[in-house]
Amino acid sequence: MSSASIIPNLLTLAWLLPLVAFAVICLGCSMVQRRQGQVPYELQRRAGLLSVGAIGAATLLSFIALFVWLGTHEWTGGAHGGELHPNGPPRYYADDWYSLVEIGSLKLTLGYYVDALTVLMFAMVTFIATCVHVYALGYMHDELHEVTDHEVNVRGRHLHRPGRFHRFFQYLSLFSFSMLGIVIAGNLAMVFMFWELVGICSYFLIGFYIERHSASTAANKAFIVNRVGDFGMLIGMMALWASVGTFSFGDIPQGDKVQPGLFSQLRNESNDFALVPTVGFVSPQEESADAKYPGYWLLTIAGIGIFCGCVGKSAQFPLHVWLPDAMEGPTPVSALVHSATMVAAGVYLVGRFYPVFTPEALLVIAYTGCITLFIAATIALTATDIKRVLAYSTVSQLGYMMLALGIGGWVAGMFHLMTHAFFKSLLFLCSGSVIHAVHTNELPLMGGLRKKMPITAYTMLVGCLAIIGAGLPIAGIGLSGYYSKDAIIEQALSFAKLNGPHRVLLLAPVLGAVLTAFYMFRMWYLAFVGPPRDKHRYDHAHESPRVMTVPLLVLAFMAIAAGWNVGPLCITGLLESAQPIGTAVGAKGSLAAALTIPAESLSHAPAIKQQAGLWAFGAAALGVLLATVFYCWKVMNSSEVASTFRPIHRLLLSKWWFDELYDWVFVKPTLAIGLGIAWVDRRMIDGLIHFLARCAKWGAGIVGSIFDVRVIDGAVDGLAALTWGGAGELRKIQTGRLRQYVMFIVLGFLALTFAALGVAFAR
Amino acid sequence: MLTSIIDHLLADTTRISLPLFYPELVLCATIVLMLLVKIFPAGEKLHSFWLALAGSLLALGLCLWRPGLSQLATLERQELFTGMLVFDGLGVFLRTLLLAFLVLFLVLTKLTHLADREDGQDFFSLVLGATLGMCLMVSANHLMTVFLAIEMASVPSYVLAGLVKGRRRASEAALKYAVYGAGAAGVMLYGISLLAGLLGTAHLPTIGDRLIAGQGAAGPGLDSGVLVALALAAIMVLVGLAFKLSAVPFHFWAPDVFEGATAEVGAFLSVASKAAALGLLIRLVAAAVPNDAPTHLIAVDSVRAQLVASSSVELSTFAPHKFLSIALAVIAAVTCTFGNIAAYVQTNIKRMLAYSTIAHAGYLIMPAAAAAQVGGAGMRDPFAAILIYAAIYLFMNLTAFAIVAFLRNSLGSEEIADYAGLWRRSPWVVVAMVVTLFSLVGIPPLAGFNAKFVALYALVAAGGPWMIALVVVACINTVISLVYYLRVAKVMIIDTPTDEAETSPAVSTAAASYLLVTTLPMIILFLFPQRLFALAQAATASLFG
Repeated sequence: MSSASIIPNLLTLAWLLPLVAFAVICLGCSMVQRRQGQVPYELQRRAGLLSVGAIGAATLLSFIALFVWLGTHEWTGGAHGGELHPNGPPRYYADDWYSLVEIGSLKLTLGYYVDALTVLMFAMVTFIATCVHVYALGYMHDELHEVTDHEVNVRGRHLHRPGRFHRFFQYLSLFSFSMLGIVIAGNLAMVFMFWELVGICSYFLIGFYIERHSASTAANKAFIVNRVGDFGMLIGMMALWASVGTFSFGDIPQGDKVQPGLFSQLRNESNDFALVPTVGFVSPQEESADAKYPGYWLLTIAGIGIFCGCVGKSAQFPLHVWLPDAMEGPTPVSALVHSATMVAAGVYLVGRFYPVFTPEALLVIAYTGCITLFIAATIALTATDIKRVLAYSTVSQLGYMMLALGIGGWVAGMFHLMTHAFFKSLLFLCSGSVIHAVHTNELPLMGGLRKKMPITAYTMLVGCLAIIGAGLPIAGIGLSGYYSKDAIIEQALSFAKLNGPHRVLLLAPVLGAVLTAFYMFRMWYLAFVGPPRDKHRYDHAHESPRVMTVPLLVLAFMAIAAGWNVGPLCITGLLESAQPIGTAVGAKGSLAAALTIPAESLSHAPAIKQQAGLWAFGAAALGVLLATVFYCWKVMNSSEVASTFRPIHRLLLSKWWFDELYDWVFVKPTLAIGLGIAWVDRRMIDGLIHFLARCAKWGAGIVGSIFDVRVIDGAVDGLAALTWGGAGELRKIQTGRLRQYVMFIVLGFLALTFAALGVAFAR
Repeated sequence: MLTSIIDHLLADTTRISLPLFYPELVLCATIVLMLLVKIFPAGEKLHSFWLALAGSLLALGLCLWRPGLSQLATLERQELFTGMLVFDGLGVFLRTLLLAFLVLFLVLTKLTHLADREDGQDFFSLVLGATLGMCLMVSANHLMTVFLAIEMASVPSYVLAGLVKGRRRASEAALKYAVYGAGAAGVMLYGISLLAGLLGTAHLPTIGDRLIAGQGAAGPGLDSGVLVALALAAIMVLVGLAFKLSAVPFHFWAPDVFEGATAEVGAFLSVASKAAALGLLIRLVAAAVPNDAPTHLIAVDSVRAQLVASSSVELSTFAPHKFLSIALAVIAAVTCTFGNIAAYVQTNIKRMLAYSTIAHAGYLIMPAAAAAQVGGAGMRDPFAAILIYAAIYLFMNLTAFAIVAFLRNSLGSEEIADYAGLWRRSPWVVVAMVVTLFSLVGIPPLAGFNAKFVALYALVAAGGPWMIALVVVACINTVISLVYYLRVAKVMIIDTPTDEAETSPAVSTAAASYLLVTTLPMIILFLFPQRLFALAQAATASLFG
């Protein structure tokens, strides 16, 4: 077997295993529930183990696929200077498994597109998912017996309900399947399908504690906000579909021919792999007006449309409001779905779709990322809920990735996606461990926990150091975040040098780095250092069981080492070999002529590298120093500072009033319109429908009773009476009816003839 | 001279015609064998079912593996028995469909114990005989074989309808069916004799050529009197077909017969009989409408060129195929609407299904109207749509009637109201029934959706005010039909039974597995429709070369 068949097969198997687990748990447990009324806890535990086994096997397969890829593909293995694709265009395998619908030229298929990025994402997603699954076995053990939910009151008492351990793992497996489906998808339609599937999984998991009002509202909010983004995505899909006529990314072999995909149609070899709109994009007006860049507008709009979907999924400004609320879900869900994988799917799609974005669309992406990273970082400064701090930090880091992609740093952005996945899932799992110990999310109620739970404290410290990008710029060595964040700032510097007016795109990430360092260490100090602020909770705190700490240690190791060049495993090198053809050389704007997207290789120049490294280091150090001054040494009192800058503090504390704004601008008017429409519906439309229904019933009654009974039977009776001269005893129903029936043959023939001849001659 | 003709005939019959006629011959032999075996004492112990099953399986196998489905696309059109029959893709496709249905039907009658050991051979020979007639219907190439085949399929059906001896309703149904059928046959025969007399031939392709030639200035020319007579003849032939299809206004027999006959026979009449009549409809429309078939004996292109050149007003407004299209469209619209509305008030499930089959006959005729309008090679897609619909309809109606038959055996009732609370007794039967009903409405993800979709797509592709009006009618009708189909589901699932005593499953395991076999295709054909679509396309390919 060649690698062309073995890698897609391995990944397909890895993709389907969680689906099998989901199906088995879902069907098996619902059957047991139907028979016994409740799923026994022993069976629930086995369901969890099955789910863990499935994802574990998937991880194994993904890593085998990764090593097969490494073994069979030439790749550059580390920085290679300015050379671009020395071994030709990046390799990929694409094909269709199954054709869903084929109507005219519309073709919806299920297929795969496998390149180095796919393989890498598979390895990352399955690895983190396995860690989180194992961790959840410990974290969710409360669900293995009767649960008393202290946050829900039913008739003055706390809610008692049976545990739902299996339900949690069932959704987790479905989520793993859906997420891997996005990664392996070979066309945009399939991406959209799985995009919605992860959305629904996220909905189920956020609303896992469905009895809590906050959880069900948060689930609704996440779902509805995401639909807003999907609307844009559908527009982008329609534009692409109408113009290019295909949804598939790569070239699909069809018999002995090849069906060209999106990427090769938009960037073909004759144009030197530069982005040129196909004929389908050109509108008749543009054609007649002899436009300078025909079809360019539509292509830009298509790109921005697709990006809209990513804005929703990756919680970018202005749709970032759902992610912090999504923390109502159990913490393992926050770690897997709402930080490491699903929210990164938006970034992944931008990366996957990179060849289609025009420089103007990229600028929109960059600014969206820039605004997001700054706003989210500022809100994180004042949050007191440990998970919300992390949630805003996630939003902020996703902004970094978008920014990096928008300014031409494809490798930097995707690299940060990988490293962030490791340290952010680590941070969330640590926070889960803390919450598990002290039964609260509130930072002001913690403190000094370092002594009680050392493993959690120090693995979390590793996570904090990784996220702020700690490292030694002179030695060039550091934790994983050091490499990826430096790469982003290098690219931003290189971009700012060429595009003076867009200098803010450099300022924001540097300032963001200060804020990141500050709020991360503020959180760590508040939780683990200093005297305990709630004695009772402190006394009851304890280190988590091994099933939870082992994943922490594994992830901490990855958070340290994910950026290193170790032997054949070097994420940047692999990513560079996957960089979409034609995007590495940079681009010049057409509509915005002053815009230049610099080639990514330019940012590796020593001058830029050193300067960016110092800036990043300085920013992180400043942030840590400030946090230490405020929360460790307590030289300055944070509440005094807060009261000094009262308006700003209030702005941050109420999250820039985004929720209130949306409530007034969208939710309230929508509800008002809804009420109005409901009134119209109930009063007017229902009346009309009832009226129509009555008419239809009446009509059917006529045809049924009157026509059937009166006309046929009546005519039969009458005819029989006539024919047989009222001889009642001879009036056999069959005889009478039959004559009638045969008469109808003649009548029908005549009617048909006259009708048809009339129509034919009338014209 | 004479001897050479006889030699030629003999060679034609034995070398070409008979080998391609094997499946029908096997059916004949099976009938004879079933009747003969009963003479011997040992044969009396043998249940005729096994003989009938073996015969029909052999026929189906011959149909599949002799030049059959596998080479459908490359099949060469051949006229058999000096042009009385034709062997082509359409015939093979429908013959396979009919024989496959026959096998499923025989198994069903065995499971419902319709025919007993003693006089089973009567029943099975009637069924096989009717199927034989239907096989001839779909490969008829001559007006005489058209008529003979219809009668051959009909006469055993009359007897089948009255099968249950001593039941008045059944005898009444049989008598009505027979007399009504005789009337329709008389009208049709009149039409056939008019056609043959006017055009001087009864050979279908030749009729097509004469019709085309008649329109051109270069041809012999048909004055308007002859045209009206031709139109009358066409309508008369249509009457015969409409009777087999149970299209309004020739449907009066259907509700009474379906109610009187057993549910199994209802399945046979509604599926096999209708599929055969559709095949015949396709053949007649293909013959009457100008197309690019290579079998036409004269240079069609030159005639058509002259036709365009001499666009005399009277001829172009009264082109026979436009006339046919309108007639079919009107019949389809009325049939569909009437069937659906009348089904509303039925309380007997068989009567409701009877009206449902009338409504579906309407949907099935619609693509034929589209085909008659577009003409030429454009007829391929509408005809393929009919074949797809017929194939999917086979499973839908067979399942529906099979469920009715199984439930009759256990509940002893065929009233919809008596199905109340069935959900608790046999949930899987209800699932099968609901799947079938949804598929009959045409709701995805079930194959009924594909069937309706291709049919309506053919109408849209044909275009024009008549076809668009038909699409609208069909869509409105689909909405109407939802109500009475779902009412059955509602009764089964929601309504509470009058007595709670019975909780045992209503059907046996064998019956349940039979239902599984007939229900699954409705889902599979939705998910993987390509193979069926490709077959239907290939089947229609040889109609036009």
